[in-house]
Amino acid sequence: MTIVPATPRMDADVLVIGSGAGGATTAAVLAEAGLDVLVVEEGEWIEQGSIVPFSLEQMDRQYRAGGVTVALGLPSIAYTEGRCAGGGTEINSGLYRRPPADVIERWTRDFDIADLDYDEVVSIAGDVEEALDVGVVPGPSTAPSDVLRRGAERLGWQHSEIPRWMKYTNGGSGQRQSMTRTYLPRAMAAGARIATGCRIDSLEMGGRTARSASTTLPDGRRGTIRFGDVFVCGGAIQSPALLQRSRIDGPIGRSLAVHPTVKLAARFADELNVPDDVAVHQVKEFAPELSFGGSASQPGLVALALSDQWATFSKAITDWRRISLYYAAITSEGRGRVRTVRGLHDPIVTYGLTRRDRALLGSGLARLTLLMLEAGAEEVYPSFRGAPIVRAPKDVATMNGSFSASKASVMTVHLCSTIPMGQDRAQCGADSFGRVHGTDNVWVNDASLLPTAPGVNPQGTVMALAIRNARRFAASGRHRG
Amino acid sequence: MLLADDFPDLPPDRRAEVVRFIERRAVTLPSFTRFGVFVIGALYRMLMAAPGGGRIACTLAARPIPIVGDYPRLVRSLGYAYIWDRWPDTTSTGGRR
Repeated sequence: MTIVPATPRMDADVLVIGSGAGGATTAAVLAEAGLDVLVVEEGEWIEQGSIVPFSLEQMDRQYRAGGVTVALGLPSIAYTEGRCAGGGTEINSGLYRRPPADVIERWTRDFDIADLDYDEVVSIAGDVEEALDVGVVPGPSTAPSDVLRRGAERLGWQHSEIPRWMKYTNGGSGQRQSMTRTYLPRAMAAGARIATGCRIDSLEMGGRTARSASTTLPDGRRGTIRFGDVFVCGGAIQSPALLQRSRIDGPIGRSLAVHPTVKLAARFADELNVPDDVAVHQVKEFAPELSFGGSASQPGLVALALSDQWATFSKAITDWRRISLYYAAITSEGRGRVRTVRGLHDPIVTYGLTRRDRALLGSGLARLTLLMLEAGAEEVYPSFRGAPIVRAPKDVATMNGSFSASKASVMTVHLCSTIPMGQDRAQCGADSFGRVHGTDNVWVNDASLLPTAPGVNPQGTVMALAIRNARRFAASGRHRG
Repeated sequence: MLLADDFPDLPPDRRAEVVRFIERRAVTLPSFTRFGVFVIGALYRMLMAAPGGGRIACTLAARPIPIVGDYPRLVRSLGYAYIWDRWPDTTSTGGRR
């Protein structure tokens, strides 16, 4: 392992900012191509297994702002970002979806992306799946996951088990194949260095060229990193924020896309709660507009889900072992923005749901409630203010009548599209391979590049595109000789 | 105050620990959110210092006031999450089981 201390003066041929799904793959591809790569990560390197998944301690140590980040709007949408070596791959559900063919085709057409060949994307996805040990759970799935399968089968709805990037040992539990287990060690084995606890404040531009990066070190000192090229891979919020702080113009941060979700808690006759894992089944009967799945159900999160209507839901909390949380996610037509304001350390994030989004959230919650009842839920507690306890299908209409998105706890974990890739400069902040328009050596290679929300768990798509772009960069011969 | 209303049986030592946790988290909030929480927090403290203000503050906190209402809700939700993360067998009123 080559984890180096961040110092006031550092340099590299290629600086990679961020170490999540985009940054780790970029670093591995470039280092294996023989380039001198330095990865700078704002968070710390935390070994898997040293923290209970989905606990408040994990949120404290591996999430940005302890997991309390909000896109302002009506309603505001809570979101989370990883802030640790490996980024979001260390904290997400670990569910894997291949890049959807129709989505890649639509992006290519609507955003004028050059040379985006689906066969190449699928081939890279195959490499990723092998590297991450993507596969289904050996043996039976957990009780919360089985709820989704059972409810969908009774309703005749499409459902499936989603593969995960998890390595299973005989009789043991799974080991997440996150970036700290896979692509970061690969990058370091090929000579890449990684410095943690170091924030990049801005890129110093000289015309079209970025000359250096200004940093804040773990001890508060300021520093500088000189480089030939820079890959910005801080995720869909931090990447546009950094470019804006660096005074790089263009359509940057104006088109945030997310999969908004609403949640419910469902109580069953028997104990089923699995605090440190999530369900692997998803219900796709109404995809891509709507999909249903299971959420982390640690008791603190169950309390959170019940808190919107505590006066009537509170008694259920003592039964948390018989409760699990589920979500309905939508593909949103709304858009958000990421704005930096001089003097503020963090960007301001906003998001506006459309009328159709609001209606879809309501119908999604109603259908998810029906699914739970069909699966045998005794009581369902939808997460919005004024929600009734639902005990039978006849109550669902009443619940739906009292729902409004502005009273709901809307959340999201899939953030993307703030620097869309493509040749259409009117709507794309970066070109077809991630180079920021109007610059010579500033590249973006993370979820920001996805032109729209893909409608499925996006990590597989982010990794495939990042590897494609990094390979193209390596093949260009920059920094050789 | 918001927590006291929801959890009358939460022992004082636990209440103090929850408040410390919320304060610690508030410091790490993103700049704009932190500013909002502190401003709204100050207004609530002023309101609660006034005669009958406590009841008004709780009523306001329960109302879906756009954006402004999100701040007390955020702080309140942190308390809920902490209590059951730390002491999963807490009763619905905050007591020990």
